[in-house]
Amino acid sequence: MNARIKISALLVGVGLILAFLPFNAAKSFQLKPTELLEISTNTDMYFSVDEVARFVNNEDTTIQLIDLRSAAEFMESNIPGSINIPFSDLLNPSWEGYLDQDKVKNVYYANGDETANLVWAIVSGLGYSNSFVMKGGMNEWYKTVMLSKFEGDRITPRENALFENRYKARRTFTQINSLPDSLKKQYLEAKRLEESQLDGGCE
Amino acid sequence: MGPITILNDLPEWLNLGIGFFIGIGFGFALEQAGFSSSRKLAGMFYGYDTTVLKVFFTAAIVALAGSQLLSYFGLLDLNLVYVNPYYVTATLVGGVIMGAGFIMGGFCPGTGISALSIGKIDALFFLVGGLSGAFLFAETFPLIQTLAGANYKGPVRVDEWLGVSPGVFTFLLIVAAITMFWLAELAEKKYARNDITSEI
Amino acid sequence: MRKKYMNPYLAGVLLGLVLLSAMFFSGRGLGASGGLKYAVVAAVETVDHQHAMESPYYSKYFEDGKNPLKSWLALEVLGMLLGGFISGAISGRLKLKIEKSPKISNSKRLLFAFLGGVFFVYGAQLARGCTSGAALSGMAVLSVAGFMTMIGIFGSAFLFAWFFRKLWI
Repeated sequence: MNARIKISALLVGVGLILAFLPFNAAKSFQLKPTELLEISTNTDMYFSVDEVARFVNNEDTTIQLIDLRSAAEFMESNIPGSINIPFSDLLNPSWEGYLDQDKVKNVYYANGDETANLVWAIVSGLGYSNSFVMKGGMNEWYKTVMLSKFEGDRITPRENALFENRYKARRTFTQINSLPDSLKKQYLEAKRLEESQLDGGCE
Repeated sequence: MGPITILNDLPEWLNLGIGFFIGIGFGFALEQAGFSSSRKLAGMFYGYDTTVLKVFFTAAIVALAGSQLLSYFGLLDLNLVYVNPYYVTATLVGGVIMGAGFIMGGFCPGTGISALSIGKIDALFFLVGGLSGAFLFAETFPLIQTLAGANYKGPVRVDEWLGVSPGVFTFLLIVAAITMFWLAELAEKKYARNDITSEI
Repeated sequence: MRKKYMNPYLAGVLLGLVLLSAMFFSGRGLGASGGLKYAVVAAVETVDHQHAMESPYYSKYFEDGKNPLKSWLALEVLGMLLGGFISGAISGRLKLKIEKSPKISNSKRLLFAFLGGVFFVYGAQLARGCTSGAALSGMAVLSVAGFMTMIGIFGSAFLFAWFFRKLWI
């Protein structure tokens, strides 16, 4: 009986220690500030809204658009193919499979540039590669892709291609976002659950 | 830093080899615990042998405490360890069906494999039944697909669910386990039967 | 010479360390029913290739040229057979026999063992894991699914225990 009490006490002691340990201490900033500064100074981190429009039109699977706005704003309207990771929920471990991977390019956007840039700094600091920002965010998307019109006398082939790209993305955007909420939810849910991120269990 | 195979891009054969060695350890531990005996396992539900409870909870606590300590010392990234997804309906219905199978067959799949390896013929029948069960499931999958996917919650962790830290939850689990061990030993005295060791 | 079983707490520590090494080396828990499922999937594919490819259930195990028998779980289950055999050999427990309560006949025991297997693995497929894959490994990573599976299995087994008491006591 004595040994049992001793072992029980030992176990409870281990439990008490664990209760005061931070969970997931192994996850911490992996880049040094100098390294972060260095990668921040290159401008390769941006995609323009026109480039994103092209991804949407081509249904480019090497790109993952990530909407950082709130769930309500996201339901209101989002760029087709996006997933919603609200800024406040960024470090929820369930998103990690999306954020920390080397298969697709993650393109972050919010309304303006501030949130997306902040997120870019955080995830880059965590050592996640493949992180990008859509320059100008949703504001720029509306201004350029949704509302811009060609004004002028003669259209050059280059401008023509540009506007066709925008019109096509505009159509997809309007179509998806005018779906009734329930259908949209189903569509987004299906997309979110498309694949489990880690292998395991008895599956 | 772990998980080794995920972070280091090891060749496929090495990952499979690790699986094989871990399997050896798993089968060995189950057999040594006495899980190759259906009557020892079933004893859990009649109170005369509570080995199942003791082994099961001790193992869970060791793995829980160990993984958190490894994480604390930066040796294991717990975000990269698989967390089982939670399908509310399927988990509960499946759990009840499994419970019925447990009390009828006296094994679960892992212990059945361990029992087969030392020559238990009843375990062979259990596993053949198991293969039939898996086949039946695959063939009836279209019928129960909706049930199987209903109320999906994703890979939720219990500490998030209850809003406590994982360490605090582990502590509570340890206290609960010690209480259960104590009750189990009382039960073993109360429902004691003649020693069946010679029969199994 | 038959040896006694290991002290349950000690055996639990051993099992916990095995589980911990699975998490540390491969980032996943242990499993058993999954191995049985892979065997069935591979067998169905061999017997009726077309059926396997058309079924939404089987076909996902052959995507991108995957082979269900060349998976971590399948190898782990093979290892389990060897590990159990080694343990049995060391402790002198290797013997072909039907283990049952002396009050029931052999055929009754085998029938219920078979039925139990059908139920257990069917339920395990539905719940996406058995006692090892979902309950034990799930609890070790604090998965709600793991705790719920554990409660489901043991809770219902306690409930059904009364109906099947003649099989065991």
